[in-house]
Amino acid sequence: MENFEPEIVAFCCHYCAYTAADMAGSKRISYPPNVKIIRVPCTGKVDAIHMMKAFEKGADGVYVAGCLEGDCHFKNGNTRAGYRVAYVQKILEELGWEKDRLAMITMSAGMGERFARTAREFTEKIKELGPSPIKQFNTDTHQQAAG
Amino acid sequence: MQKLKDIQQDKSVLVIGGGVGGIRAALDLAESRRNVVLIDKSYAIGGLMTQLDRTFPTNNCDLCTVSPHLSENTRQIHLELSPMTQLESLTGEAGDFKATLVTEPRYIDMDKCTACGECYKQFPEAVRFTPGLDPRAPTCMRYPHATPYAFSIDMEKVSDIAALQKVCKADAILPEDTQKRTTVDAGAVVLSIGAELFDPAALDNYGGGRFDNVVTGLEYERIMSASGPFQGDLVRVSDKKRPKKVAWIQCVGSRGINRADVPYCSGVCCMYALKEAMVTKERFAESIETTIFFMDMRTYGKDYEQYFNRAKDDYGVRMIRCRPHSIVQDDETRDLSITYTTEDEARHKTEEFDMVVLSTGFRVPESTRDLAGRLGIELNTHNFAETDHFNSVKTSRPGVYVCGVAESPKDIPETMVQASAAASMAAADLPAVMDVLDTEEDFPPERDITGEAARIGVFVCDCGLEIGGVVDVDKIVASVATCADVVVSQTVGYGCSSDSMRVIEAAIKTHHLNRVVIGGCSPRTHETKFQDLMRRAGLNKYLVEIVNLRDQNTWVHIGQPEAALDKAYKLLQIGISGVRKNRSLVDHTLPMNQNALVVGGGVTGMTAALQLAGQGVKVYLVERNAELGGMATSIRRTIEGDDVRSFITQLVKDVTKHKNIQVLTRSIIVDHSGVPGLFKTGIQTGLRMNYMQLAHGVTIFATGAVANRPDVYGLGTHDNITTQLELDALIEDDPEKIKAMNQVVMIQCAGSREADNPNCSRVCCQAAMKNALRIKAISPDTQIFILYRDIRTYGFYEDYYKQARDLDVKFVRFSVDNKPEVWIENDQVSVFVDDVILGRKIQIETDYVALSTGMVADDETTEDLAMMFHLPRTTDNYFLEDHVKLRPVDMSVRGIFIAGTTHSPKTIRESITQAYAAAGRAQTLLAKKEINLGAAIAKVDGTKCAACLVCVRACPFGIPFINEDGYSQIDPAQCQGCGICAADCPAKAIQLLAFEDDQILAKLDGLFGGLN
Amino acid sequence: MITAEQKPLKEIIEYISPYNRILLVGCNECVTVCAAGGRKEVGLLASALHLNCLKQGKTIEIKELTLERQCDPEYVEELVSEIGRVDAIVSMACGCGVQSVAARYKETPVFPAVNTKFMGASVAQGIWEERCKGCGDCMLGITGGICPVARCSKHLLNGPCGGTSYGMCEISPDVECAWCLIWERLKALGMEKRYEEIMEAKDWRPAGGGGPRKIIREDLSL
Repeated sequence: MENFEPEIVAFCCHYCAYTAADMAGSKRISYPPNVKIIRVPCTGKVDAIHMMKAFEKGADGVYVAGCLEGDCHFKNGNTRAGYRVAYVQKILEELGWEKDRLAMITMSAGMGERFARTAREFTEKIKELGPSPIKQFNTDTHQQAAG
Repeated sequence: MQKLKDIQQDKSVLVIGGGVGGIRAALDLAESRRNVVLIDKSYAIGGLMTQLDRTFPTNNCDLCTVSPHLSENTRQIHLELSPMTQLESLTGEAGDFKATLVTEPRYIDMDKCTACGECYKQFPEAVRFTPGLDPRAPTCMRYPHATPYAFSIDMEKVSDIAALQKVCKADAILPEDTQKRTTVDAGAVVLSIGAELFDPAALDNYGGGRFDNVVTGLEYERIMSASGPFQGDLVRVSDKKRPKKVAWIQCVGSRGINRADVPYCSGVCCMYALKEAMVTKERFAESIETTIFFMDMRTYGKDYEQYFNRAKDDYGVRMIRCRPHSIVQDDETRDLSITYTTEDEARHKTEEFDMVVLSTGFRVPESTRDLAGRLGIELNTHNFAETDHFNSVKTSRPGVYVCGVAESPKDIPETMVQASAAASMAAADLPAVMDVLDTEEDFPPERDITGEAARIGVFVCDCGLEIGGVVDVDKIVASVATCADVVVSQTVGYGCSSDSMRVIEAAIKTHHLNRVVIGGCSPRTHETKFQDLMRRAGLNKYLVEIVNLRDQNTWVHIGQPEAALDKAYKLLQIGISGVRKNRSLVDHTLPMNQNALVVGGGVTGMTAALQLAGQGVKVYLVERNAELGGMATSIRRTIEGDDVRSFITQLVKDVTKHKNIQVLTRSIIVDHSGVPGLFKTGIQTGLRMNYMQLAHGVTIFATGAVANRPDVYGLGTHDNITTQLELDALIEDDPEKIKAMNQVVMIQCAGSREADNPNCSRVCCQAAMKNALRIKAISPDTQIFILYRDIRTYGFYEDYYKQARDLDVKFVRFSVDNKPEVWIENDQVSVFVDDVILGRKIQIETDYVALSTGMVADDETTEDLAMMFHLPRTTDNYFLEDHVKLRPVDMSVRGIFIAGTTHSPKTIRESITQAYAAAGRAQTLLAKKEINLGAAIAKVDGTKCAACLVCVRACPFGIPFINEDGYSQIDPAQCQGCGICAADCPAKAIQLLAFEDDQILAKLDGLFGGLN
Repeated sequence: MITAEQKPLKEIIEYISPYNRILLVGCNECVTVCAAGGRKEVGLLASALHLNCLKQGKTIEIKELTLERQCDPEYVEELVSEIGRVDAIVSMACGCGVQSVAARYKETPVFPAVNTKFMGASVAQGIWEERCKGCGDCMLGITGGICPVARCSKHLLNGPCGGTSYGMCEISPDVECAWCLIWERLKALGMEKRYEEIMEAKDWRPAGGGGPRKIIREDLSL
């Protein structure tokens, strides 16, 4: 897959990651347009099912971005989100998916640069992993049909 | 125009000048339920800021940051706006002034004018015209979303009044309009008239006003601005071609002794030149070469040094330390040549530039002197308002306050701080506010949309070039028009401008919309505004979805227009799909606690506490040390010569005896909970560390910074190597010792502006001048050397710098790569430094070395408090305010404010101003009797609940419980809205309103709609 | 409470591989509380099954439903309208629920999605421990409220075996020795004497030794 442009969903908490993304904007720090942000009040709100559904609907990668350890606006929402990410990673592995398609990332509101950097790194990782297994099948059959 | 609906108080505050400072002061007062009359001699408010392209240090577009502030005006019931109005006279005294105002005729009925522009189209000669670079047809609307939103007529230029009247469909032309004279009963006056920018045509050497391609900083801003003469395209005036080389010359007309110069520093030009150079590269072409000619780089503000470093290191802005003598124009090509020298080369160099920007500073116009006369206030030697040494907003006439550039040259954040401070001082001159609730703004009743099929309106802002310059907004609008349930899809220019808001409101009504998607900037800044719009249109405010097309799309994908377009389309799909699932929700409210907690018993904390206590607020003043006083107790005199100790002693006395202030020394904060308006903070207090819980509605952090003691230049190894603080005390306590000194060396930036502490400590240059001048006063023969990197005596501190030079204090510049060295041999201290002018190393045998060590953040304290109160910090551990430009003392958590050196390094005077500002901002909140908790709370569906206790255990705040009916119950007044319980509930019985599962899944559907 | 754990996905996938239309049924009782088969787990399993199919380029229809209680016929009856539309049922309830569904809908194959584990109690959020074997002859009244049948690895009735060590069982340092707990508890109650009383061999018939057990309340029967 050469010109593979992954579709990536980032669940960002309002207080840190979403603000950091805005900060990246005001500092004009570029990051891959593949990342699409869905705002949540706290990463603690991000249910395992949201991550699963994102993959089901076609995401090549999903990450949950919250506040730094100990800095959660709601005390421990980010820690809980971290556990859930690990849980869903296990399900993905059981299904034979790469668990690295899902990640938990933390940053503070002022870290526009970190937002951009982690978005870049995650996008690179997903590019290496290639399209989601769902799409891989579609492409395979497509190529067979074409061939 | 808004009429005063609330006449419980007959006294108003008169605010003169409708720039950002005046607007901020007026809004603060109105929010504190004080009546305000805001007058401006111009036909629209907004001042200088509305003409800037972007502002440092965030490089945001100004119209966007200022516009929410402007329209707030029209919705404030305590605010009366009078454009084209000036003060004629002011009689009476503080608390009981009579102000006579004169309003010029506008010849337009502002209630009728819809700003359709028809009159201007037909009679362009009849409208006033904004001079300067604007080659477009003259317009009297100063910027795209002018407030008030109406035209004005220049009657002298109208030949056929009847024809003009006929053109106006709204019948708004009033040919009989006359000058009006009114009087206002004012309790206080806030002066916020700013200043003018220096016109370089007065100088004959730079070609200002004569050479096409020589422009001032402001003109350059206008050229780059989307609402400017070239629609935001950077081109030369002479040939409309993109320049390849642009130069800036600093201090044009400032810091000079020649004809037409002023001696002071204008304070903002270094930052704006850096900004303009960076924006040039960022927005137009990386390849444009930018060069700044400067004397001292004065980036002394919060995080400004890092901004300077970014300009140099990341953007490659070329910095040349030289003040060029003149500019020569090639009459044919209109190119410009500049001859200059550099420190490392003796010969002159001549270089060609396509454009030269003159960094001109502030000038006090003649009209200020007149107005000062009418107000009866004194001006200083530079014709700025003279103010109290310990209160920068207090003029010589009691009851008259000043803020912004009218007081001294300054940038926007400092203007905002002074505006809030002036508002707070002015409010204190008025009788206390009566405990009567204001009637809420009259919103029409909400339409019940239950059962209606979704009818969605999509409105996309182009935000000038901010969005429209990167992606084709019309294309986006056309493509989403075909989406299911989308009834209207249109472009709305600046969506947040009052005219666009009206367009959207009308569209909602005409098309009977029940859901709205706004594609624009961040919901963090603009959601409230559009929620209010929904309410005005008769819809619940939760039926709007803001799609962040600017901050999270066009701003970060400037170089990838196609990808940005695709992303914009997908983001809108997310919004459209999501908004379908939005429901009407009800906000929850709670009564507000009226007490204040002030943390930190230094000058800042005590000032804020006194100001609030004076307004009848019960204040808890918490100080960790045994005594009040803070860092200022180690300072003996200010640069103005005032005795700091006696000032503090008086302050401590006032605080201690005030009946509304409870002083809690030896106290530390150990826990914190609650919501804005209903905070609970636990402290351990006294020698026995007893636990005590304080209930308060607002919190002010004034925890200060700490004096830096870096391990540099032998500090601590010899009695005669000390910091400026110790020298300050020595001068006061032992002048004989000073007299015995032959040579004193001061080394600036000791431990600041370096890798491990990159920012400037701001106070050190003026502290060095202060101590140098005091030594010279005691002992004129003592030789003083000040070794420096850049002298940053901003504003009027420049006067002290000049005095020091006049008294033969020697200034030797060094660079960070070649710092001075301090040697001790046989108890003799010597300083070695490379003298760039002599071109060799010099040795100074000195009796005393004073290091300007400045201050650093109190890392431990800010870290603890940041954890407990969930507050963000800067990379160097100061608290990070909510908006570095417009909300400099507000934190992101509502009800929490910061002041003093916990914000960034600053002088005592500046800290005090911030203390008043924080108190003023706190008052705006305390004026409210109830707090809105929003609607994003967790809701349990009892029929699904298995009473499993997961929510009870998972809630970080312990709110859910299993009720008598056997299912979980969550008190909406206590729920903090994190949604952790909703995500953990194994029965899916809990939903977080406004972020329900089906809303989140619908957003995913929107994003992947094309794939599945 | 009956506790359960979700089966490995592989096993569930294998069960349903011949079918295209699945009815996935959760239970709002014990398995919800132990996070094995409530509404949330039903959603997650459905999503996982979808992901698995999509990976192979197939699609699968999954109808998600969570009953108040799968071990009561009236609740099970709620599935009736779905039965004709599905090829197989996957139950996320405990074994009782799976069997109730299977007994009612004889024509449709029913597969379990969870392994029913034990009767246990929640000791902390996310942790459950076995507390009862259902022996039919409760002796907690004489063992200080701690059950040696369920909590002693060897189900010993007269004190610990030689494998006890500092209060822990020899099978794992994480498992407490039930008899040490009983002793401590009796001591605290001042009932040390009880410990001295020899218990006779336990009658295991009420524990199921006499075949499947049944309870009949004639007064309640209709």
